[in-house]
Amino acid sequence: MRGRDTVLVILIALVCAAGSFALSRYMAFLVYSVAIAAIGALALNLLIGYCGQISFAQGALLGVGAYAAGNLGNAGFDFVAILGAGLAGALVSALIGLPAMRLRGLYFAIATLAAQAILEYLFKTVEPITKGISGLTISPLTLFGARIVSDQGYASIAIVILLLTWLFLSWLIRTNLGRAFLVVRESELVAKGMGINVARTKMWAFVISGFIVGVAGALIGFTSRLANPEAFALHLSIDYIAMIIVGGLGSWLGSLIGAIFVVLLPEAIQRLGEWLHVADLVFAMREMAFGILIIVFLIFEPRGLAALGRSLATRFTRPTKIQGKSVG
Amino acid sequence: MFFIQLLSAGIATGSIYALIAIGIVLIYKCSGVVNFAQGAYAMVGAYVTYALTKLGFPALVAVLASMMVLAALGIATERLVLRPMLRAPVVAVMMATLGILIFAKAICLAIWGPDQIAFPKIFPEGSINLGGIFMTYNYVAAGVLSATLCAAFLAFYQFTSLGLMQRCAADNSRAALAIGIHVSNQVSIAWGMSAALAGLGGTLLATLNGLSLGLEAIGLVAFPVIVLGGLTSLGGAFVAGILLGVLEAFTDGLLTPAIEDFLRAYTNVYSVGALQQVVPYALLVLMLLVRPQGIFGRRGTERI
Repeated sequence: MRGRDTVLVILIALVCAAGSFALSRYMAFLVYSVAIAAIGALALNLLIGYCGQISFAQGALLGVGAYAAGNLGNAGFDFVAILGAGLAGALVSALIGLPAMRLRGLYFAIATLAAQAILEYLFKTVEPITKGISGLTISPLTLFGARIVSDQGYASIAIVILLLTWLFLSWLIRTNLGRAFLVVRESELVAKGMGINVARTKMWAFVISGFIVGVAGALIGFTSRLANPEAFALHLSIDYIAMIIVGGLGSWLGSLIGAIFVVLLPEAIQRLGEWLHVADLVFAMREMAFGILIIVFLIFEPRGLAALGRSLATRFTRPTKIQGKSVG
Repeated sequence: MFFIQLLSAGIATGSIYALIAIGIVLIYKCSGVVNFAQGAYAMVGAYVTYALTKLGFPALVAVLASMMVLAALGIATERLVLRPMLRAPVVAVMMATLGILIFAKAICLAIWGPDQIAFPKIFPEGSINLGGIFMTYNYVAAGVLSATLCAAFLAFYQFTSLGLMQRCAADNSRAALAIGIHVSNQVSIAWGMSAALAGLGGTLLATLNGLSLGLEAIGLVAFPVIVLGGLTSLGGAFVAGILLGVLEAFTDGLLTPAIEDFLRAYTNVYSVGALQQVVPYALLVLMLLVRPQGIFGRRGTERI
């Protein structure tokens, strides 16, 4: 991202954050849902799209963030609750990443599947922290002494955190560490040959991504006011992988587009179902459309919506350039 | 006695796991795709059997017909979804199979609803008494049938000419092409066969646990099985399936009560929950760290 773009992004985000106070409650709900999902998707894209480590434990990791933030928030901590959730996420993510020191590709993906299952089990059984199957009720977030209770408030907080995440990640990828991520993704052997410490690089990817996912989980906890094991099951991980694949692996903009797509699609189908008076079938229709769209996208544009947008843009701009040449 | 009771129940469910896992391994060997939709095939297979018996077909016909339907479904997935994605990255292909899983689940939800359905009785009711061990016919039939089928499939893969062509295509697709094997047809056949096996596995599982959308979870339980057995070894998947079934039965019947007794005596923790659901995964992590190629896998296969 160049300097001009950075300024533009900051401006847009600030306008959105300020404008979100004027939104209706439902619109604010949609805005923070998309923003939180985008934060999580950015973090997952760092891990999968930029560092090449496929993880199925995203859902459980969001859960870790939500439970950590819930417990800290209920104990009366201020914004520290969000930071604490981030640290918890980073810690657990580092633990999940440990097998990645020895495993690659597919085997590591299966190991994260195991991590997801084990964490889900812990959510259900470690009752002093998680309150078991009934779930942990979370009191509203307090930010510098002010209790945030309105959906509009959460929308603007989510947008600001999304902005910070985006700026941080696009800065990170231009540092030496960020370049090392890309080399590890392309070939671990080459990375080793270049003198990159592969294990340490991977571990950083897990820690950074885990911190951001923990923060996103905290926001999920504070906005839904309840953390229960079912909300952080494997299907949530699948939703996030769908986001970054539909949007585009290794593209920050793609993460945002994917989050918008995956969050708003069910809402749109819900509206459509209510409008057509087939409310019973809505859930099935939603899932059906989700499944079929994932497949269609993967077949026709495996590089995601962001790439589709780019190729459309060049298709529309190229003729004018040629025209300009022939005229000139 | 209780010990042998648990052992036999574990072998019965374990051989169903083996049936599902063999399908995943077969697909992986042949096309390099990790199929997350295997659980969906099992679920659809069970629902199709249910629908056919409801239409009045005898049980045997219904089961065979549902295997046929599933074989067609497997081939259709391979041709329509996986073939256009030959050059896509691994994670995209995995995601596509997850898309199939989501789609299949939604279809079943739309047609049959979210509630658990009583599965028609395919096997006679009652139980047999083998020297003090009581087993319902359901368990006996599920165990014997799936174990036999696994063994028959392994024999087919090892000793028939089609099995030889399958192995050739899986081992080195270029060489297979050079000696005149139609590799892409072989891949389709592999998908068809594993979907049919999964369909049968799903039907058998439904006779034990009832019919619901939750059946697709078997596809995930199969992953510890295939890692344990070695991702590329069919025999390994069979052995690991039975091993894991037995382990689950023992965890449920012996280990969990023992741990809970201990905890209740010394702490105020009351329950450890469904421990048998995480034991396979804990074992999986351990296995990956100690011996990533699995019990029967060859060294180097974990490097993909």
